[in-house]
Amino acid sequence: MTVSAKTISAQRTLSWGRMLLWGLALWGLVAAIYRLTNGLGASTNLSDGRPWGLWISIDVLAGIALAAGGFTIGAIVKIFHMKRFYPLLRPTILTAFLGYVIGAASIFFDLGLPWRIWHPLVYHNLHSPLFEVAVCVMTYTTVLALELSEVVFEGLGWRTLRRLVGAIMIPLVILGIVLSTMHQSSLGTLFVLSGWRVSPLWRTGFLPLLFFLSAVAAGLSMIIVEANLAARAYHKKLDQPLLAELGKYAAWVLLVYAIIKAATFVMSGGLAALGENLWLTLLFLVEVIVGVLIPLVMLFSARVREDRHLLFRAAFLVAFGVLLNRFNVSLFGLKGVAYVPTWAEWGITLGMMAGAILFFDFMVRHFPIFEKGH
Amino acid sequence: MEAQSLVAKSLLERGITRRDFLKFCALMAGTLALPMSYGTRIAEALEKKTTKLPVIWLEFQDCAGCSESFTRSSKPSAAHVVLDLISLEYHETLMAAAGFQAEQAREEVVKRGGYLVIIEGGVPKGDDGVYCVIAGRTALQVIEETVKNAAAVITVGNCGSFGGIPRAHPSPTTATGARFVVKEMFPDKPIIGLPGCPVNAVNVTATLVHFLAFGELPPTDQHDRPLFAYGALIHDNCPRRAHFDRGEFVREWGDEGHRKGWCLYKMGCKGPITYANCPAVQWNDGLSWPIGSGHGCIGCTELDFWDRPIYEPVKIQEAAPPAFYPSVEEGPEGKVDAVSAGITGAVVGAAAVAGATLLKGKKSNNGSSQPSDEG
Amino acid sequence: MGKKINRREFLKIAGASVGGLLLTAGAVTASGKEEVRPFKPVTDGYAMLYDATLCVGCRACQNACRRANNKPAELDPTGLYDAPNDLSGDTWTLIKLYKSEDGQTWSFVKRQCMHCIEPACVAACPLGALHITPTGAVAYDKNICFGCRYCMVSCPFGVPRYEWDTTTPYIQKCDFCTSNGRLERGEPPACVEACPTGALVFGTRSELLAEAHQRIEAHPDRYVDHVYGEHEAGGTHALYLSGVPFEDLGFPQLDEKPLPESIKIPLDYAVPSIIVGMTTFSVAAYLVTRGEEDKS
Repeated sequence: MTVSAKTISAQRTLSWGRMLLWGLALWGLVAAIYRLTNGLGASTNLSDGRPWGLWISIDVLAGIALAAGGFTIGAIVKIFHMKRFYPLLRPTILTAFLGYVIGAASIFFDLGLPWRIWHPLVYHNLHSPLFEVAVCVMTYTTVLALELSEVVFEGLGWRTLRRLVGAIMIPLVILGIVLSTMHQSSLGTLFVLSGWRVSPLWRTGFLPLLFFLSAVAAGLSMIIVEANLAARAYHKKLDQPLLAELGKYAAWVLLVYAIIKAATFVMSGGLAALGENLWLTLLFLVEVIVGVLIPLVMLFSARVREDRHLLFRAAFLVAFGVLLNRFNVSLFGLKGVAYVPTWAEWGITLGMMAGAILFFDFMVRHFPIFEKGH
Repeated sequence: MEAQSLVAKSLLERGITRRDFLKFCALMAGTLALPMSYGTRIAEALEKKTTKLPVIWLEFQDCAGCSESFTRSSKPSAAHVVLDLISLEYHETLMAAAGFQAEQAREEVVKRGGYLVIIEGGVPKGDDGVYCVIAGRTALQVIEETVKNAAAVITVGNCGSFGGIPRAHPSPTTATGARFVVKEMFPDKPIIGLPGCPVNAVNVTATLVHFLAFGELPPTDQHDRPLFAYGALIHDNCPRRAHFDRGEFVREWGDEGHRKGWCLYKMGCKGPITYANCPAVQWNDGLSWPIGSGHGCIGCTELDFWDRPIYEPVKIQEAAPPAFYPSVEEGPEGKVDAVSAGITGAVVGAAAVAGATLLKGKKSNNGSSQPSDEG
Repeated sequence: MGKKINRREFLKIAGASVGGLLLTAGAVTASGKEEVRPFKPVTDGYAMLYDATLCVGCRACQNACRRANNKPAELDPTGLYDAPNDLSGDTWTLIKLYKSEDGQTWSFVKRQCMHCIEPACVAACPLGALHITPTGAVAYDKNICFGCRYCMVSCPFGVPRYEWDTTTPYIQKCDFCTSNGRLERGEPPACVEACPTGALVFGTRSELLAEAHQRIEAHPDRYVDHVYGEHEAGGTHALYLSGVPFEDLGFPQLDEKPLPESIKIPLDYAVPSIIVGMTTFSVAAYLVTRGEEDKS
């Protein structure tokens, strides 16, 4: 079940994949410097008619939704006392932490005045959904860092600190659940205030609820996806029954999501808007069919859940569906002018992801991420 | 015997009616950008004069064009009254005297003081000023001697005010405007510059009238140019401005636009960077002016204008809206470029391939992992 | 296998959570919670009335705004004219032209910030950089803003613009000449003062609404029977009269609901409920399922 650290580090440290990752990270570094020294106009294709682009859609919205595994696994293991899921806890917390760091970093680059990123600590508009997102994300990233520190202290052998963190772990996890619920839904609230701008296919006052539910489903699915990827990369065996159970929970969440989404869609007159714009209709159908309906059916089948590859595919589709949903709401379906991300926008996005993978790999090799805990 | 009004004497001798004189004074008030009531005040002030104002007119590196401009007049008019209010004691081109007599006349006026100095032409500073020597003295020495007791100095022409042709590249004599030299030697002397190539006679007359009537020089800009004449860009008062605003430009000499009187900007008109009152007072007794005749302004009232190619368009200093409007349908524009589209396509394509590869996988029973070489 | 939550436990947890939620909802409603906002909507502040039928398109207003706020000209590609096509980082107001397809009907229209009574941008701004001044004008504090551009996303009129081409960009929009001090000195905005035809007038909102309706009544054939900004998005301080339909002039069709109303429930009610509810739920779940920790 577990892989010793020795085995991992014995593998080649420079392969094509690794070179690609470092290449992307370098691209990201160059892009970051260019962005900070030349301003947004030079480094992005954002404009007055399209103030938000790739960074917001993928790194902030999609990234944070897909990192929801952090609080869901924490709830499952620590709150619901389902200790058998423990092996999944540490790697998921690590990826969630990296996901939120990416989200925060891309906000840093997206802000017109990045050095003022600390302003929400001093200037508050308590009734802005974005303020709430900012404060929640800041706090939750800290929570994740603290949760992760337990592994770090364990690896470093700093027992006192480790015990200290362990002592506050439950409150941390509860805080994480509350904060996550708040900001996952408030990311949806962002598009209620600007609802006039959202395509009728996605426009509803229930976006906060839909964002939250889809985040939970995405979180659970990403645990399955990442477990499969890590197994492949680090030559581990998969605990399929464990993942199958997660798949079942994801199925139920997805079902509730699908029902509420369908109901709100009809309620807000989405039916009439179908077909008005061919491109948007297509995107909507892909999101709903490929991203919700198909994986929903798959996940409810025990046969699928017990098969490693089929479960992986179903989970992947859920994650893809949520990613597409965030893009649909914030980019494709958001009224605005033509836009296509520049080399710098892609650079920062891909570079950060590559950096995260490299960091993940570093942590796995030097800290007991995959060790059997208690 | 009571001193006689110079004006009265002049009108009598020249056969000009007082009415014409008053009209002239009103015209001067207008030219000087003063309220209409000043027409009467100017007339009264001038009529009080009983003694002529001595004037020394110096010429250095010049073509005498400014003197020509000032004295050229197609018909006798009330403007000539001004000539009877001054006593031109020294003018190399116009005076009858020559040699020692001429220089003596100048020295005596200087001794008496209370005179006006008008300087035409550039001053060479190179090699201690040897390139302009009059009666054994360099221009620099002449200025030193002559300006010291003057009541005020007027430098006429681009040469006198800025340096004009002599100053143009490469300026082998290291010429500069007489105005700069005077300011350096006598920083407190009231001075005014009337550039132009040549200077517009109307502006000289008006400045003289102002000085005669009010005893002081009119308000000036940072180049000592009177604001009444050099306060506005030609571009802002040009009768062809509407064509500029509508984008109607002459593109070739003699084309349709040229015949219709369109804007000469593309033919190199320097109107947008030139301060002068040519559109208002025009030239040759109001006959016409360069743009009116179909040739662009060459910017002759500005510093270093001889170094600017006559037919090269200039950069607009203070842009204003054109005569056309954006449509309500125009909104902010999207930014899409081919390179970014290409990169995006490549990234999305690569992601799709990666995703497909990941999703493909041999169907196997649960649990066993297939070690693959990734990482 | 492992522990699964049995029905009894599920009911216990659910019950606790719902109880917590109801308690919160009750507390929030019972407290008679007043609208505590970082701004106070001003309903009868200073407003501007633009009468499109009196506008001759001279753009004195556009130029006056440039000078009063020290904005550089926005050169067209030939570099000859100051010809903005739209609001931008350097253009706070501009005149646009509407022409019907057959060219027979036309009208000018002045675009700038609408200074809504309950602005979406003010509700959106996480830092409160955009705020309502006591005069009713919506002003911007460039010392607070960090450039998230959410205001740009949320404004239904597409007003706030950004200075994309600098490394220290700020949001740019009309502020009724608040920041250049004119309003403080008791002067109307520069555009109003510059207008030679009286198409622009400044006064209190109630005064101008009365004036606007009077004009419509006096000349029903001249005006579309509607004052744009009277009710749209809860009402704005920039009011418009026109001889052509407002949609033709590019104005969005908005209903009377102020945009911040749409997030009242999620923010003012749902968030406290979530905090209490999720905490209760988590604590309850932890306690209830604790007895049966599974050993793996």
